[in-house]
Amino acid sequence: MTSLARKVPAALGGRGPAGWLFMAPSLLILGTFVLFPIGRSLWYSLHNWTVGAAEQPWAGLDNYTRLFGDAQFQRALANTLIITVASTAVLVVVGLGLALALQSENVVSRVVRSVFFFPTVISLTTVGMVWRFLLDPDIGLVGGVTRALGLDPVNWLQSTALALPTVIFVNVWKNAGFVMIVLVAGLKAIPGEHYEAASLDGAGRLQTLRSITLPALRPTMLFVTFMVTVQSLQLFDLVYVMTSGGPLDHTETLVTKLYRDGFVNYETGYAAATSWVLFIVVVLVSALQLRIFRYNDAD
Amino acid sequence: MRNKRALAALASVALTGLLVSGCGNSDDSSGSGSGPVSLTVWTGFTGGDAPGYDQIVSDFNAAHPDIKVTMTKMSWDTIGQKLPSAWVTGQGPDIAAPSSDPNAIAQYVKTNSVLEITNTGTGDDKVNTDQLAPALVKEFTYNGKLYAVPANYATLSLYYNKKLVSTPPTTVAELQDQAAKLTTGGNYGLVLADNNTIQMWPILQWLSGGDIVDTSNCSVVGTPASIASLQPWVDLVKNKKISPVGLSGAEADSLFSAGKAAMEINGPWAAASYKTAGVDFGLAAVPTGADGKSVTLGSTAPLAISAKTKHPQQAQEFLAYWTSKTAQLKFSKSTGFPPLRTDLADDATLKADPTVSIFANQVPNAKLYLPQVPNATKVDTDAYVPLIQTATRNGDVAGAAATAAKKINELTGCTQ
Amino acid sequence: MLTKSLKWVYVGIGLVLAIVPLIWMVAGSFRTEADLYGHTASLFPHEWTLHGYKGVWQQLPFLRLLFNSVLFAGVTTALTVLFDSMCAYALARLEFRGRTVAFWLVLVTLMVPFQVTLIPVFMELFHFGWLNTYQGLIIPRATSAFGIFLFRQFFMSIPKELDEAARIDGAGHFRIYWRVILPLAKPAIATVALLNFTNLWNDLIWPLVVSTDNTMQTLPAGLALFAGQHVTDHAVLFAGAVISLLPIAVVFFLAQRYFVAGISTSGLK
Repeated sequence: MTSLARKVPAALGGRGPAGWLFMAPSLLILGTFVLFPIGRSLWYSLHNWTVGAAEQPWAGLDNYTRLFGDAQFQRALANTLIITVASTAVLVVVGLGLALALQSENVVSRVVRSVFFFPTVISLTTVGMVWRFLLDPDIGLVGGVTRALGLDPVNWLQSTALALPTVIFVNVWKNAGFVMIVLVAGLKAIPGEHYEAASLDGAGRLQTLRSITLPALRPTMLFVTFMVTVQSLQLFDLVYVMTSGGPLDHTETLVTKLYRDGFVNYETGYAAATSWVLFIVVVLVSALQLRIFRYNDAD
Repeated sequence: MRNKRALAALASVALTGLLVSGCGNSDDSSGSGSGPVSLTVWTGFTGGDAPGYDQIVSDFNAAHPDIKVTMTKMSWDTIGQKLPSAWVTGQGPDIAAPSSDPNAIAQYVKTNSVLEITNTGTGDDKVNTDQLAPALVKEFTYNGKLYAVPANYATLSLYYNKKLVSTPPTTVAELQDQAAKLTTGGNYGLVLADNNTIQMWPILQWLSGGDIVDTSNCSVVGTPASIASLQPWVDLVKNKKISPVGLSGAEADSLFSAGKAAMEINGPWAAASYKTAGVDFGLAAVPTGADGKSVTLGSTAPLAISAKTKHPQQAQEFLAYWTSKTAQLKFSKSTGFPPLRTDLADDATLKADPTVSIFANQVPNAKLYLPQVPNATKVDTDAYVPLIQTATRNGDVAGAAATAAKKINELTGCTQ
Repeated sequence: MLTKSLKWVYVGIGLVLAIVPLIWMVAGSFRTEADLYGHTASLFPHEWTLHGYKGVWQQLPFLRLLFNSVLFAGVTTALTVLFDSMCAYALARLEFRGRTVAFWLVLVTLMVPFQVTLIPVFMELFHFGWLNTYQGLIIPRATSAFGIFLFRQFFMSIPKELDEAARIDGAGHFRIYWRVILPLAKPAIATVALLNFTNLWNDLIWPLVVSTDNTMQTLPAGLALFAGQHVTDHAVLFAGAVISLLPIAVVFFLAQRYFVAGISTSGLK
């Protein structure tokens, strides 16, 4: 490695294309395995594409017009937006609450923070499985405790009214620690003088939060909400394991829908159309966020 | 500086990894010349019947020193994800059971991924199509060409927990009555799975004169007879809670094996798992319906060969062995499955076996689910499953059936 | 006083919600089916059994799966850290035409759901002849937009004067990147490495799709076998979950200190 470390600088030393050389590995990979395929999937979506079929007939915009007459798609789109908005809102509130409560640097706060953060590293499949069983009225702890209290256990994931809120709850459970950790970091970056000035002005707790803390947290907030929204818009594993999109499509999301079309029914072209709608939704939502938080790239 | 060294180490680990991988991938021994031919098989047989299939493979290997078959078991879901693209690109196994749903083979025929089975006829080294149940051969024949053989043939019977059920019901009326009575003390009378499962609800409908599609593939779920056949069961689930709603097959099986369900309609593969779980269970034929006759579901998984296999000859030989009299007799005995072959129907040792005979006796009453109906898989997931799931939640069979009927006709291309 | 106790009530409820499911899962891996169904209100086993762990051990080529998982997640993570930091170095500290466009391209890839590209990527790997190979498994995942983003934010917080000083000493870009910037970026490395390792370790679909050969399966793929269609053996499922969680838990407790530091110095500027 050391010899390499000596030779490469010569190539990268000059002004010219150094930037592009440094970016080459990442851009090559992202270009080949993300950007090109997404273009490819646009091509699929304009055909009645089936993996392996002898001919892939041109379909024009048929797949897209078909989508908008597809009740399952409408439901999936609505569910995805509900999951995203609700998860993000709850996560920001819950995460901020935890961050404010646990921002100090003592042993207790640190340990408690680790506990909250731990679910972030558990796979969504495992999280989904554990909660699915936990909420099962016949074997789960939740049902058991309900029964011990003399009440009828609720079939959370099989109720058309409760399944979606339950999925949102588990999504929050999984990500609250991540939001908290990032916000704690953001809080620490706020210079102490700001608070001192505020307390000299006689500002109350809430007022300080509103006039000092929240504005200073804006870039951090942008970062977490961006991460959480993108993740929620693409929610798949959790739903797939917990409900497979059921009952009766009440937890179907855009990704479970495109998975079903593409990998169960083998309608690749149709699934690609869904994926492009999803892609556009993600881009729009992200752009909207950048606007809301007035993100400034120039720093 | 320590950091730099760590990074250098990381990077060199990465590079070595790549170099190693470059040459570590030559394990594809299916090449030519010396040594036995290797055949790989994928199946989703992960249930209690798994040892039976393993036995077929190891017996075949013992009898054919020039061929080595390796069978990999994974979930049906996984096969569904991997197999279509694998076969199209000439990757993946030589032989596979693509799905537990026999209708799934249609998709593979459409994409030219499966090999036509031509090695048919009489004798041990050929697939004896004349000895297989005609309905099964028909199920796997498209445009006059055979594309798969049945990997098994099962009928469904009534499993009952002996601790909870003293005499198993023999008529539908008794079944309904017992299902309601046995639902007590946290137990369910009759667990009914409606998704990701072997079909249970169609049997209940058939027993009382209902059905899903007619011979011209048009929906009949909305006819008065079909609605009447479904209504009492929907009422029992919704009002008497004889079964939780929205169960998957695995969940229903788990409830029975935990002793929380008095009865379940299921296939022979479940017996071994229930035995392991320690449930004291009995087996009975599916009760008789209103007309005094019994109906049950017949189920089969297809076993097909990749169109791009390098060893079509050997692969067909393997299928011939799988469906042979010797292999199937042994398989039935060890798993309780009814024999696949008509020439085993009267085999004395199978008739004497209490488990096999229960399932085998129902073969004449067995119907396949949506056989060769266009888009059968979608008819199930997009119409029939929602019908049951809606009706068991809101009780409105007629309303749910009307929606399902419309969807079914759309999918099958029926133009009344 | 009131706000203080309210605060601890809030944190307490959160703690119960965070911990109980995990305890229940671990305890579940030691419970018999009868116990699970019979004592639903109980968090702990009434009788202990190792049946779940024995089941996993007997039915899986466990060490092989573990080796594959470590190789896949480990090598890919190492490459990701290298490539992402290089890319981010250019984005954060070099001036050149097209930099902003490149940055937005990277951000756009963050918005592409994995399932969308799965089939086209599979076909590409097929044309490259990379199916069933380690390079097919590793290279497409060897960079992450999130990692680039995080490194970029981190690098931007390092004073420019450091580069200037090095440049006066005659150092080229690579030397500055390797000798000056990277050594300062330990927390960011830890953050990106931990997040990537976790994601890769937990990834189920990718290894399944790229490797049709089951000697290349990873641990989660192997464990997925137990969630079959027939009777669910909950103890085995829980045991499998616990086993696949253990390595991640170890990495987490070793790396989380750096991780928090990494988060707090990046992504926030």
